[in-house]
Formats: sequence, C-alpha cells, structure tokens
Amino acid sequence: MGLIDDPSMKEIIVEFCDESLELLDELEACLEELEEDPTKTAKLEQFGQVIDRIMGAAKSIGADEIATFCDLGKAIGYKSSQIKDVALLEVVAAILFDAHDLLGRMVDQLKTGNDNGLKSLNTQAFVTRLKWLQDKFKNIERSSVAYKNDKEVLDQTSIDDLMSSLGL
Amino acid sequence: MALKANMKILVIDDMATMRKIIKNMLGQIGFTNITEADDGATGLPMIEKATEIGEPYEFIVSDWNMPQLTGLDLLKKLRATEEYKKLPFLMITAEAEQGNVVIAVKAGVSNFIVKPFSAQVLKEKIDKIFNK
Repeated sequence: MGLIDDPSMKEIIVEFCDESLELLDELEACLEELEEDPTKTAKLEQFGQVIDRIMGAAKSIGADEIATFCDLGKAIGYKSSQIKDVALLEVVAAILFDAHDLLGRMVDQLKTGNDNGLKSLNTQAFVTRLKWLQDKFKNIERSSVAYKNDKEVLDQTSIDDLMSSLGL
Repeated sequence: MALKANMKILVIDDMATMRKIIKNMLGQIGFTNITEADDGATGLPMIEKATEIGEPYEFIVSDWNMPQLTGLDLLKKLRATEEYKKLPFLMITAEAEQGNVVIAVKAGVSNFIVKPFSAQVLKEKIDKIFNK
C-alpha cells in the first residue's frame, strides 16, 4: 500500500498538496513571463526545476499520475529551454499552461480525496499531447537539472553496481 | 563505524513532505536524533554551527534539486573543507541518469538513492555507508 492509500498518512498527503499548489504558482509565473517574451527560455529551465520538486514528492507518496505529468513537464521544460524557435516556444508555453491547469486540478482532487473527479479529468489524453510535444525535442539530450553526457537511466540496482565500480 | 540510535542526522529537502517522509523512515529504522533544514543554504550554516559548538552532525541526507543551494553544491562546499571531507553524505534525487550519479560520486557523495524509496532501501544505503 502506498502512502496515498494509507489513512494514517493523510496529513502528509494534505501537506504535499498545499506545497504543490504553492509551487504551481511559481510555475504559472514562469509561464506568464515566457508568454510575454518567448525568448526568455531561462524561464523554461526554471519551470523544469520547480516541477521536478513536485515530481519527487509525488513519486514518494505514490501519486503516480501526478508524477508522470511532472516527469513529462520537466523534460519538456529543460529540453525546450535549449531551442530558439519562437513559434515552437509559443506552442510550448500554451501546452504547459494547459498542463499547469490540469496539474492544479489533479492536486486539488487528491487533497479532497475525490478519485472519481481525477478519473473524469481524462489525464491520459493530455499525457499523449505532452508526449507528442516531448517527441519534438527528441534530439535534445539534456532533460534534467545537471549537465550530463550519458543519459542512460539507471534503476537502484544499477546505481549500486555503478557505485561499486567507482569504489563506493 | 558502528551505528548508534542517537547519531546526529540532518535531513535537507526543500519539500516539507519529503522531510517528513524521510524522518518517518529514519525513525522506523531506529534513529532518534534527526534535525531538518529546508535548503542547502540553510543546512550549511547549521552544519557549521553544530561543529562549532562541539556537537557535529554525523550524517547528512540531502535532496539534489533545491532552489537556493543544491545538494550537489552543498556537497562540494563540504568536501572542500578538511573538517567535512569524510562526513557521510547520502544524496537523494528524483532521477537516476548515469551522468548524474558519476557527477555526485566525483564530488564525493557517500551514496545515492532514487525516489521513491522504502525504509528498507534507505537502511541498506545507510548500512553500506557506515559499514565500508
């Protein structure tokens, strides 16, 4: 049973929702600045950093739909921050505004425990849109906060093996 | 190094949710002396102050992505000081790309854990750090 299904963890879930709603305000501010001036791509990098914070906590409490949404939003934020095509940046801003709106509703519904409402949001359809957008940036490698040359994603066992090979 | 229940631990994460989850897990493992900081920028002076008063932190559990001072930058600052060269430091992150692990290892991280994780995995990581 994940934390999200554990009644004794209700306080943590509510705290997660409240923190996430505050971070959603920061995300909205990033998008508003980007909408005003699409060349301000640093705002997309900032968007990626902020949504990553929601993603980590969402994964930890078992809010998988929110985590998936944030994961896509983060990748799009970081990757699109590396492009110069203003027309595409305007599309990115519009879709991320929609994603932000939907994410806010998902968090609200998690807070109220309204699972039926969450299903009615039809998040899968929007995930498909986000994946379509992410595909536009498939040739851009950097999709996270730190620069790296190797984008291979590791599971915990592989990390342990890698750390052993590095002497840890 | 033997593990003791009252080992002084600092949990650093900008998300209160995560700090609470990690504290709960450390409590489940048996640790009792746990303090929190909400960013690397607030954690660093706490670490320094604790050393000054002769009650140094013995273990740091830090998130990577934080708004003011990231876990990686905090780690680099600590490792640049002789006093903290060997301070056990567990890095937590929401992603696990090989490049990031290598960067953290090069910076001197003691171990690395990826969200989501269980108390059991956290315990295994702690055991690895302290039983080397």
